[in-house]
Amino acid sequence: MASQLLLSELIDKCVGSRIWVVMKGDKEFSGTLLGFDDYVNMVLEDVTEFDYTGAQIKLPKLLLNGNNICMLIPGGEGPTAGA
Amino acid sequence: MENGSSSEGKDPSAFLSEIIGAPVIVKLNSGVVYKGELQSVDGYMNIALEKTEEFVNGKLRRNYGDAFVRGNNGLFDSSPP
Repeated sequence: MASQLLLSELIDKCVGSRIWVVMKGDKEFSGTLLGFDDYVNMVLEDVTEFDYTGAQIKLPKLLLNGNNICMLIPGGEGPTAGA
Repeated sequence: MENGSSSEGKDPSAFLSEIIGAPVIVKLNSGVVYKGELQSVDGYMNIALEKTEEFVNGKLRRNYGDAFVRGNNGLFDSSPP
């Protein structure tokens, strides 16, 4: 089992870099990951919040409850970057 | 947890203790927004706010001197813009 990689180690590699977070509902966030805990609650910086209307809301600092996180995309700049 | 490697890296509990007393925005899953001064937070992410304003659909609904938000409402919060 030497090659066993913890998923939390994978997220740990993203600390300090940009990350795109897709929530279970209609919301998405992109920002710089400052830290996270065992529940994958996350602290983000320089965040853009995307809602279902396409509106973008800037937030300087954000604590995100891990309960509603669906997907994490390292290096992602949110839904508008590739569009 | 092995995420204490970089000094700038802040885990959620460290971030929370840092922003005690600061004006914050708390958003619930339902879309309701609470703005107020963060009084305290615990391990469940229950949150106590002071001088709280409640916004529903972006419109001010109510004011509370003291408010307690139960942590299981799927909230996230931030220091204000």
